[in-house]
Parts: sequence; structure tokens; C-alpha cells
Amino acid sequence: MPLIGQLALALALILAAYSIIANVIGARRSIPTLLASARHAIWAYCAMVTVAVAALLVSLLRSDFSLEYVASYTSSSLPTFYKITALWGGQQGSLLLWTWLLSLFTAVAAFQNRRRNPEIAPYALATLAVVAIFFLGMLNFVTRPFDMLAAVAPDGQDLNPLLQNYWMAIHPPSLYTGYVSASVPFAFATGALIAGRLDDSWIRSTRRWAIFSWFFLTLGNLFGARWAYEVLGWGGYWAWDPVENAAFMPWLVMTAYLHSVMIQERKDMLKVWNLALIGMAFGLTLFGTFITRSGVISSVHSFTQSGLGPYFLTFLIAVVALYAALLIWRLPKLRSPAEFESYLSREAAFLFNNLILVGIAFAVFWGTLFPVLSEAVRGVKITVGPPFFDKVNAPLALGLIFLMGFGPLIAWRRSSLDSLAKTFASPALFGLVTGVCAFVAGLREWYVLAALSLGAFVLGTIVVEFRRGVGARRHLVRESAPAALINLVAKNNRRYGGYIIHLGVVMAFIGIVASSFFRTEIKKSVHEGEFFQVGPYSLQYLGLETTETPHVETSRARIEVRRDGKPIAMMLPAKLFFKRNQQPATAVAIRSTPAADLYVVLAGMDDQTGLVTFQVFLTPLVFWLWAGGLVMAFGTVIAMWPNVRERAAIAASLRAAAETPVVDEPLRRRA
Amino acid sequence: MARPNSGGRLAHAAMLVAIALALIVPIAVRAAATVSAQQIEESLTCQCGCGLTVANCNHPNCEFSVPAREQIEAMLHRGMTGPQVIAFFRHKYGEKILSAPTTTGFNLLAWVMPFAALLGGGIFVALAIGRWRAHPENPAPALDSAARGGADDEMRRRLERDLREGF
Repeated sequence: MPLIGQLALALALILAAYSIIANVIGARRSIPTLLASARHAIWAYCAMVTVAVAALLVSLLRSDFSLEYVASYTSSSLPTFYKITALWGGQQGSLLLWTWLLSLFTAVAAFQNRRRNPEIAPYALATLAVVAIFFLGMLNFVTRPFDMLAAVAPDGQDLNPLLQNYWMAIHPPSLYTGYVSASVPFAFATGALIAGRLDDSWIRSTRRWAIFSWFFLTLGNLFGARWAYEVLGWGGYWAWDPVENAAFMPWLVMTAYLHSVMIQERKDMLKVWNLALIGMAFGLTLFGTFITRSGVISSVHSFTQSGLGPYFLTFLIAVVALYAALLIWRLPKLRSPAEFESYLSREAAFLFNNLILVGIAFAVFWGTLFPVLSEAVRGVKITVGPPFFDKVNAPLALGLIFLMGFGPLIAWRRSSLDSLAKTFASPALFGLVTGVCAFVAGLREWYVLAALSLGAFVLGTIVVEFRRGVGARRHLVRESAPAALINLVAKNNRRYGGYIIHLGVVMAFIGIVASSFFRTEIKKSVHEGEFFQVGPYSLQYLGLETTETPHVETSRARIEVRRDGKPIAMMLPAKLFFKRNQQPATAVAIRSTPAADLYVVLAGMDDQTGLVTFQVFLTPLVFWLWAGGLVMAFGTVIAMWPNVRERAAIAASLRAAAETPVVDEPLRRRA
Repeated sequence: MARPNSGGRLAHAAMLVAIALALIVPIAVRAAATVSAQQIEESLTCQCGCGLTVANCNHPNCEFSVPAREQIEAMLHRGMTGPQVIAFFRHKYGEKILSAPTTTGFNLLAWVMPFAALLGGGIFVALAIGRWRAHPENPAPALDSAARGGADDEMRRRLERDLREGF
């Protein structure tokens, strides 16, 4: 198996290199057979990487401890499920997963564009293959997944206990899918720059890829937060750790990009900005991988540190420099007719939304790198932690939430103050009333009041927009209200999917604010049978049970939760001890309701006194963070859903592009 | 209506952004008047390698955060102020124990840069919109539907297009 895997990776490298040459020469000399050959090479390279992944999976499942990777990240007693997830539990395997996803997406893009985008697609596919060459180069020469041990190990060292959790099974693949799929729009942007096809056809052709990437970045961040919530046992879910930041930044920039391209599609403006944004998004995905693997910045999420940092940094700098050079080269051809009538317009609101999103991304980037900068300049190690990121980003988040309600309802080109008053009167009143009610109810934190008011304002704008659409449909088409709602969303899925995403963002935002401000924590040591109080809940410790498997020893406490004297739940927090690598871990117990999460950690046991210590967190509204994330995902699926009208628009755009000469023909003429 | 000249627009844009920042920055850097043990724990980074603050360290028997929390409580109990407690830990472990950069010297750059970048970006966007408004390459005399008579017209037009296209 290892030999098959190594051979497959070597062949994949050769095929990817060939596809670059064939695509570039085929495009420059307009040789269809060569372009077809390049496509076949891409599909073959994808097949080879798939073979390598399959070979490593089989080795993991067979516990082939002659393989260094298998011996480092699994053990014979590791459950089968985690033997599979060990594929991305280590350095080489996670790079292999990355490369496999890239090869799959490249193969799909090659298939999608076999008869369209003849100018851009070959260069885009060549760009994707260049990225693949870097990763395949790493896998073939620097960090090889199929390296053998000198002697077969009797057993493996086991997977890190923190990774033996189902959220870790889905968090890295989701995040990688988001990271890697961002390379498709980036590659098409690069292709458009090289080919000189600078209209919006590259955006339309890759719009679904961009949303797909955003969807998985959203899920990746959400699952990562949930993993931290359940596994790290500190009652929180986000600590502004460098690796969390590295996953958050591309999400922010992709969000800005998805809003900004609407202006280009609508008004043919901001071409340079959109190209810059997608370049930034891709650069940040590479930066994220660099941060995770380089060890430059320490992180609780980094399980794969190695000496790969210099390679990634060199590649990152080369990609950014080359892309910037391409952009500068094409700058004179990227000037577009500017048509802006008013600051009170949707395009202006989108621009300010972009400013804040990129501003937050910059603040996060700056805070993440500042310790390195400080050490380089002053020789002093410092920490930039949650207080910095909270203070800098909190006011920006409020601005963003406001624009989320304001932007979509304001008209394109310009709005009068009268129409603004008419459109926003109800949502603004709703927001104000919510804030006043919260104040009367006793809330005094200005930020929470502002967040609640703005959240209610955005919710109001969404309701107004849906109500207006349903009302108009009922009036014009004579439909029932449910039918009008379904048809409204189905026929304008991009717009209404966007509103649903906004609803999810508001839900998540309220969850984040409430859980950050009002979390209470209690640490209590009790004997068996004793009660202790946490908020409205009375908790009784009923005893400890110990179970053992060949892999892990579990001490599980039983806690009965009562409210108003009535038992409402049995919670089972546990301490785990992983035998193979002699490491402890915590399994928290969570009782989640829309009002609050009761979160119990078994913090310690004293065998001599019989005292058991519990750390209990009562976190209000954190439920809405996860619910909001799912609503965002649901909205994204609606926005991504194939739409006949959109397909017609893409076809028209591609037809128009085909009939228009490219802005620069030197590449073809030189050929 | 006459449009303001470019200098006036610059001043106008700068003023708008300055007002916005004048509202935002004090909020962002506001300091708490009183400091609780929890706040002190939040402002110190655990040195066990967990990467979290002393308040949030996830190791139940952590060799650093557990004694540090007890020490903070004891020091506050003895009448030391929050800044004195933090200064004690800083003196003992160095600047890396602080969970956020100080607001003096080179570290001030950490706090200023995000807002400076936002200010620069804000001025750039405001100026760009101002310039595009001053020299529209494709001037459009008509106001859009929302400006003319309300957003419902736009909605009606969209629905009519749906029906026309057979959706």
C-alpha cells in the first residue's frame, strides 16, 4: 500500500506539471486537442491523489505500523472512526487531504469549463495546478505520508485525545473545503487577468464556488467553535487564538467579496477591488495554513507543527507578489465607468460594509502578527489576547450589524430621506422599543443594549422585506400567503437566501453578546448526595462510576438537575484517561436550552476525602449562536440553489464575453 | 445644485469619519473604573501553554492558573488595587503575561493601527464616492423607484419580471 501511495503521488506531480504546460501552450496557440489533453491530465492527477488517499486510509484502518504516519497518529486500540479521522490528524495526512480536495475541485472546474470560458479556463486550471504542484512537492519531497519506519512499531502512539471528538471529525474537512474551494474563484481571477478577459464573466462563472467556499468556511468556523466549547472545557468557544483568527479572516474577506461582486455585476464597477479581495481571501487561506503548521505563533488548535513554515511563507510571498504584479499590469484596462449618485444608496452601504469587514480582518491580522513584530522590533515577547480583539472589534461589529439592516433595503443609485423614513420607520421603532424594554428590564450594559436594539432593527428590516414581497405577490398573482412566501424565495433565491443568512448572523450575534456578558461560573467541591445551587438550578451529586475499555478509562459523575424542586435532567460529566499516550481529557456535560446552557465540568476528584469538584457555567442564549450558524448554512444553501434565471444570465454573460474581443491580445499574437 | 469643491469634500469626508471615530474610539478603549478578580484574571495570560487567560485556563489542576487565581484573591483581600496586582505579575513574569498590549510606546501601535487603517479606508471610500458623484461618466437623470415613490414599486417591478419570464 505505501508503495502504491507514494507512486501515485509522484505520478500526480508529473501529471499536474504536464497539465500546466499543456494548458498554457494550448491556450496561447489555440490548440483544442492540447487543451483536452490538459483536462485529461487533471482528471488523471485527481485519480492519482485519490489513490494515495485510499492507500493511506487502508494503512490506517489496517494499523500498518511499518508506516511512520500510522504509528505516530493511531494505535491498535483506537476506535475505527478515529482511525479514519487520523487521516487529517497529522501533518502529512492533513496536507494530503488538502491536496485531494484541491484535485477534486480542479477536476470539477475542468469538467464545468470544458466547453465554456475558453480564454480564462486554461489559465485558471493552470493556476490551480501550480498550487497543487506546491502541495504535491511537499508531499513528495518534504513531508512524506508514506515514509516507512526502520522497524515495525509494536503499537502506535495514538491520536491526540483532544482530536478524539466527533466535532474534530467534521471541523477540519469543513474548514479545508472552505479554504481550498476559495482557490477556484482566485484561479479564475488570475486566469481573467492573464487572458485579459476583464469583464464579470469570471465572477459569474465562479459565483457558486465563492458561496460554496463561504458556506464551508462558515461551517468550519462554527464546528471549530463547537469543538472548543465541548472539548476544551472552559465554558467558552472562541479565544481569539491565532488558528481561530486564521480561519476567521478568510471568512471575513469572502463575505466582503460576496457583497462587493454584486456592485460589479450590477454596475460594472469595483473590478480592481473585487480582484484584490479574492486575492486577499486566497492569500489568507495560505496564511492560515502557514500559521497552523509553522509554529511561529503558539496555538491550542495547532496539532501539526513542523518545519514547513519557510516553504509556506515562500509560496505565500510568491503568490501574493505574482498576483499583485498581474493586477498592476492590468490596471489600465481595469478602469470602469464610475456611476455613483449618492452616499444614501445601496452601493455606498455595500462599500462601507466592505470597509468594516476588511477593517475587522485587518485588525485580526494585525493582532495575530503583532507579537512577532514586537519580538522582532523590541526583542520582547508579548501576548495579544481576547481583551485586545474584543475591544477593537466590538464597536466595528455594531457598525456591521447596522449596515446589514440598512444596506439591503436602501435603493440602488440613491434614496431620498422620505423613502428612507418610509422604509425604515417600523424596523427602527422596533429596534428602539427593544432597547427601551431591555433597559426597563434592568439591562445597563450599553453594548448589550445597542446589540439588542440593532439586532431587532435588522430583524425588523428582514420581516418588512419578506412581508412586502409576500404582499405584492398576493396582490399581483392572487396566491395564498404560504404559496407567495415559497414562490418569492424560490424565484429570488439569491436575495432571500441572503436575508436568511442575515437572520442567522443576528441570531449568532445576540448569542455571542449575551454569552460573553452574562456567563456565570461556579466551582464547588461536594460529597456524594450533596446539593449546590447554580442560578435557578439545584444540582445534586449522586456518585461516580468508572468504566474501562482497552483504549480509555472513564470516570463519570452523575448529577441530577432540579428546577423548582422537580428533576429535569441527569448530567454525566466525565474525566477520561487515554491509556496509550497516558493523557487525561475532559468530557463536559451540557444541557442546552434556548434560554441558557448549563455546562458542567468534572474538575477533580479527591480519593482520600471523597470530595468531587465541579466547575459549572451558566451561559445565557449561547444556544442562539449555534442555531444562528445553522440558519446561516440554510440560507446559504437557498442562495446557492440552481436558479433558471441566473443560469440564463450566466449564459448571456458568457455569450457577450465571447463576442467581445479581449482587452489585450499580445499573448495570443506572440504565440 | 452646486457640488462642493474637492477640498471641501475632503474636509467634509474627514469630518464625517472623525465624528464616527470620536464616537467609536473612546468606547473601544474605555477602561473599567473598578477592577474585580475576574477582570484581573482576564488581563493575564496563563503560562501553562494553554494559550488562554488565567480566567479561562482549561486545566483543572493547572500549575499556573490555579495558584495565580488564589494569589490574586489574596492580594485584593490585602487591599492591593487591580493595577498593583497586574504590575506585580508583570514584574515577575515579564510583559508576555499581559493578555493585551499596553497602551504605551511601541505597543500603542497595536491599538492605533486598526483604527488608523479604518480611518484611512473610510476617507478613501468617502472621497471615492464623492469623486464618482462629482464626475458621473454615465449620468442618470431619473431617480430610482424607491426614491420616486417608495420601495413597493421596485418590488412590483421585480414580480412583474418574474411573471413575464414565466417564473
